[in-house]
Amino acid sequence: MVAIEVPKVNYTDYSNRQLAAVPLAFLVLALAIIGGWVVATGAPANLGLEFTGGVELRVADDGGDVEQQIQTAFEREPDSVRTIPGDDVVVVTFQAAEDDPEGLANDLQDQAEAAGLTTTAVDQVSPSFASDTARTAIFGVALAFLGMSVLVFALFRTFVPSLAVVASAFSDLVIPIAAMNLLGIQMTLGTIAALLMIIGYSVDSDILLNDSVLRRTGEFYESVSRAMRTGVTMTLTSIAAMVVMAVVASVFGIGLLRDIGIILSVGLCADLMNTYLLNVSLLRWYKFEGVAR
Amino acid sequence: MLEPIKKNWRILLLVVVVLGSTVALFGPGFGPEPAPGENASEAQQGITNLQYGLDLAGGTRVRAPLSGYTATDVALGGETPEAVAEAVAAELDNASTVDVGVVPEERAVEVTEASVTESQFRAAMDAAGYEYGGIREGVTQQTRDATIGVIQEKINQAGLSGGSVQQVQSITGEYFILVEVPGQGREEVIDLLEERGTVRIDIAYPDANGTAVQEGVLVQRDFETIGTAAQRERGTGAYVPVTVRNTADNGQSPAHAFQDAVEQRGFADAYQTQADRCGYNSETGEIENSNPCLLLVVDGEVVNSFGMDPGLADSMAAGSWADTGNFRLTTTEFAEAERISLNLRAGALPADLDISGEGTSSSISASQGENFRTYSVVIGVLSVFAVAGMVFLRYREPRVALPMILTALAEVYALLGFAALLGYPLELAVIAGFIAVVGTGVDDLVIIADEVMSEGDVNSKKVFDSRFRRAFWVIGAAAATTIIAMSPLMVLSLGDLSGFAIFTVLGVLIGVLITRPAYGDILRRLLTVR
Repeated sequence: MVAIEVPKVNYTDYSNRQLAAVPLAFLVLALAIIGGWVVATGAPANLGLEFTGGVELRVADDGGDVEQQIQTAFEREPDSVRTIPGDDVVVVTFQAAEDDPEGLANDLQDQAEAAGLTTTAVDQVSPSFASDTARTAIFGVALAFLGMSVLVFALFRTFVPSLAVVASAFSDLVIPIAAMNLLGIQMTLGTIAALLMIIGYSVDSDILLNDSVLRRTGEFYESVSRAMRTGVTMTLTSIAAMVVMAVVASVFGIGLLRDIGIILSVGLCADLMNTYLLNVSLLRWYKFEGVAR
Repeated sequence: MLEPIKKNWRILLLVVVVLGSTVALFGPGFGPEPAPGENASEAQQGITNLQYGLDLAGGTRVRAPLSGYTATDVALGGETPEAVAEAVAAELDNASTVDVGVVPEERAVEVTEASVTESQFRAAMDAAGYEYGGIREGVTQQTRDATIGVIQEKINQAGLSGGSVQQVQSITGEYFILVEVPGQGREEVIDLLEERGTVRIDIAYPDANGTAVQEGVLVQRDFETIGTAAQRERGTGAYVPVTVRNTADNGQSPAHAFQDAVEQRGFADAYQTQADRCGYNSETGEIENSNPCLLLVVDGEVVNSFGMDPGLADSMAAGSWADTGNFRLTTTEFAEAERISLNLRAGALPADLDISGEGTSSSISASQGENFRTYSVVIGVLSVFAVAGMVFLRYREPRVALPMILTALAEVYALLGFAALLGYPLELAVIAGFIAVVGTGVDDLVIIADEVMSEGDVNSKKVFDSRFRRAFWVIGAAAATTIIAMSPLMVLSLGDLSGFAIFTVLGVLIGVLITRPAYGDILRRLLTVR
C-alpha cells in the first residue's frame, strides 16, 4: 500500500513574486475567459433555465432514434438538445417565450406526446421570474462572500493575512466559473450551491494556514509545512470524494450532482494552488517585510 | 458512578443523538402527515420516515403570483366594505361586486378579476370617489391567506397526499404562492389550480327578442350542504345533490328567492310531463322551444342545461320546495359532477393564479424520482468510501482512521434524523448539502487528528486538551464562516438553494457541537499513554 506523504516545498528557492505569479496568472486567465463570455454571450456564464426563462423537457430515450424524432416533433426549433447517456434521457430546451411560457409548455408536451415521445419531466420558468431569481441569487452570493470576508477580518484583525484569505477565496470562485464556461456546464441554482461550498472549503485551509503562521509559536517555514501537512490531506480527501461523485453521477446521469462534483474538484485544485502559492507569498511578505514597516 | 459519565459525556451525547436519529428515522409517529383517507403506512415512502421532494419522488411544483391590483391607504370614509365594493365594481365594465374586495384593517381595496388593467382600476377608484395612496400589483394578505386555504382544501379534496401550499416572498417584495404536489403530473395539478371553480345557476328564458338570461339565481354561497357526485338512476349523466339555504338573517333566503325566480319564469307551466324538455342550444345560446331552462355555469362557461321535473316545478310553484331546499346540479358526465362537487366544497379561489404570466412550474415523473433516490444513495456511499480510502492511506493507523469515518457517518445519520424529525423533504440540493457536510466534517477531523498527534506522543490528558483546544479554534472559525456564508440563502426565496443552505448549516452545527468533540474524546482514549 502506498502511503500519502505530503511533500515539503522549498519555499526559500522562490521569491514572493515568483510564487504569486502562477495563481495570479490563472486568476487573470479566468477573468479573461469570463470577460470574453460577457462580450460574446452577454452573460458571465452559460445561464440555465432558472435564470433565462423558458421551457425544458426531459424526453425518455428508449433506444429508438429519439434525437431525430425530436428535430421533427416540435413546431418551434429547440434551442438546445442534450443527451444524457447514463439516464437514457434527452434534455430539450426552449429559451424564453415572452408571451406565454405556460401555454408553450403545454403545447410542447402535447407535441412530444403526439410524436410518440415520453416526457419524464417538464420545467417552465417565465422570463420575468427568471430575472428576479438571477438578481436574488447574485445578491445571495454577494452577501455570503461579504459576510465571510467580514468574519475573516474580525478573526485575524490584521489586514494583509485577512486579505490573503479573501483574495484566495475569490480566486477559488472565479477559476471554477471559467472552467464551467469552458466545459459547458450551466449556471443553475444547484451549481451556485457548489460555488458556495467552495467558499466553505477554501476558507478552511486558509484559516488553518493563517492560524499556524500567525497564532502559533515557531519559525515561518516550519509553521507553513505543519499547516500544509494537514491542509493538503484535507483538500485531497475532499477532491477524492468529489471526483468519485462526479464520475458516478455522470454514469447515472444525475446532472446536478455531476456538475457539483466537477465544479468542486476544479475549485479545490484551485484552492491548493491559491493557498500554498498566493496565500503563502502574501503571508511571507507580511511576516518578513510588512510587519517591519 | 457519575465519574465515567462526566468523563465521557461528549461520546455519550453522540450516542444519544444517534439513538434519537434512529427513533426519528424508523419510529412510528414521526412519519409524513397522511392525507385524508390515507393511513400512516401509506403515506410513508420506503422503510424510513424520510420524506422526499420532487427531485426524488416525482411530482409537480407550481409557483405563481395571484393576479389583481390593490389600492393602498384608501380613505374609506366609514362606509361598509360592501358599499365600497359595489361602488367600485359599478365603475368597472368587466368586473362584478364579487371581484372587488375591501379590507378595512389594511385600508385596502383590491380587484381580483384578471382582465382588469391597472389603469382601468385606477380610473374606477377615481370615478367612485375614494382617495388612495397608490396602486400595487397583487392582492391583499387576507386574500392570499384565503387562497392558500382554498388550494390546500382542493388538494385534499382531490385526494393528493403530501401536497403543500405556502406563500413565499421574492427579493423584490412580490408574493408568490408555491404549490408542491408529489406524484402528480403537471397538467393535472395546473388544471386543478387554474380552475377558479366558481359555480352558479342561471335561468335562460324566452322573451320578446329571443332568449334572455337571469344570471346567478343560485351562487356558491347559497348552498348549505354539498353531496358527492352520483350517477343518475335512469338515463345517462350524473349529478351533485345539494341543499339550498332556506334561512336568512335579513330579507329573503336563497331558497325562497330561487323558488320565486323559477315560478316567475313559468317552469311549472312549461314542464307538465316527463316529455317536456329543455331546448337550450349551448352553441348559439338560444332556446329552441319555448321552455325556460336552468343553466349550470362553471367559471363563466355553461357546462350543462336542463329542464325541471314536473313534480319539482309544481312544488316550487306551490311554495313548498323551499322548506327542504333539496336540489340536484345535473351534468352530462360523471367526471364533471365530481369536479363541480370538489370545487363547491373547497370553495372558489378568491383570486386567479397567474401561472402563465409570471409563474413557474416544474414536474418530474415518479420513476425518474425513484431512480434518482437509489442513485443518490449509491453516490453517497461511494463518496464515503473514497474519503475512507484517502484517510487510511494517509494515516495507516486504524485507531485514527476508523473512528474518523464512523464519526463522519454518524454526522450524516444525525442529519437524516433531523430531516425526518422536521419532516423536511429531501431533494438533490439537500443531498449536495450532505456531501458538503461530510467533506468539511472529515476536513475538521483531519485537523483534530493532526493537531493531537503532532509533536510526539500524547502522554497526559492536559497535553491532549491543550492541543484539542488549539485545533478547535480553527474548526470553530471555519464553521463560523460557513454558517455566515450560508445564512442569507436560508432566508432568501431561492427554492433549492434554501434546502442546501439549511442542511449545510445544520450539519456544521451538529459537527461542531456534537460529533467533532466526541471524536476528540475517542482519540484521547485511544492515544493517551497511561
